[in-house]
Amino acid sequence: MKTWLMLITITVLGISACSTNDREPVPPSQTKTAEPTDVIDEELMVSLAQAKNFHRKAKVYMSDGNLALATASVRQILSLRFPKGAPEADDVRLDARALLAKLLVSQNQLEEAMRTVDEGLASSQRESFFVANLYTVQGEIHEARAAIALGEGEAGKAKATEERRAAIASYDRSIQINEKLQKQLVDEK
Amino acid sequence: MPTNDDDDFLTAAIPEPDTEATPSERMHARTFADIIDKTLTNRTPAAMSADDRALVEVATVIRAANGQIELAPEKQRSIVEDALRQAIGGAGASGSGAITPIGKRARSKRWVPWAVSAVTTAIAAAAVLVLWFRAPKTRVVTEPTVAKLPETWRSRPVDPLIGPIARDSAGDASSRIDYIFADRLDGYRDRRLSGRARGGKP
Repeated sequence: MKTWLMLITITVLGISACSTNDREPVPPSQTKTAEPTDVIDEELMVSLAQAKNFHRKAKVYMSDGNLALATASVRQILSLRFPKGAPEADDVRLDARALLAKLLVSQNQLEEAMRTVDEGLASSQRESFFVANLYTVQGEIHEARAAIALGEGEAGKAKATEERRAAIASYDRSIQINEKLQKQLVDEK
Repeated sequence: MPTNDDDDFLTAAIPEPDTEATPSERMHARTFADIIDKTLTNRTPAAMSADDRALVEVATVIRAANGQIELAPEKQRSIVEDALRQAIGGAGASGSGAITPIGKRARSKRWVPWAVSAVTTAIAAAAVLVLWFRAPKTRVVTEPTVAKLPETWRSRPVDPLIGPIARDSAGDASSRIDYIFADRLDGYRDRRLSGRARGGKP
């Protein structure tokens, strides 16, 4: 019986050794190449081209003094479909919101302008120069509110002070983000 | 100690065939016949002379050779086993002293083909398992391939391109989108043209 066990062991070890010697020197290449998913493709270029056209259209309306149509044109940028996960989408939409808020401020629609800014800040996925720009626009809206409050006389002084403080806070936040991102860019270089 | 030649019947001179038996021989013959009779009826005397014992054994063998006696089953099996063992080249049972019953040996021989079959199957299974576990695995490489793409071909944040936005140009999104579009178009064209140059799909 011991002889049989020894025979089995020797045979199994022999097969293992042969298998090892045959395969290890030349490993077969069966590697599949993954398809890149974050390249610049047609879909992204079409979305950017659409945004560019809406901006140009809004610019023409602004030059004609038609702020309502210019606002409507910029709003359409927010509805554009970008490729899923494209970082450009967030940046382009935030920039459009900044322009839209400024257009609304120029039409004395301060509450709508502030809502546009707040929605943009809430939807942002990361800190960027566009987020910082949106805080800047938010500060301008607070300043506009303070100016209106001051026009109301003594009753509006407190509110004007409060709005000015809010404007400073927004500008500070914008400066803070800009400094942080600039430092990151310098470190990366 | 024998008193004469008749008493020493093993070593004394052999008498002539026609010589008449002496009284002493007759007496001895009668005594020995009595011992033989008792032995045949399994009543062997406990004490007897060495000469008588030797003669009794010879008589037993002669009787057995004539087929008039049957050996005990154990003794029979022992003799057959010994003969078989010697036939296959082994030592006799008398040498080792061990007696292996014929039935047991037959049983042990019965499972040998099964054992051989089981061992062969086990070796084949082991070989299959070894080949299976050592077969090359298909690897899908994701990160390195994507990382090899040029930066300008990839969709990415536009922060480094635009930089900080001054307050007086906060609403100048139209100029910025032009710049962003132009930059991405460069990367897109570069990727497409490179793909065509290599003969691959962009």
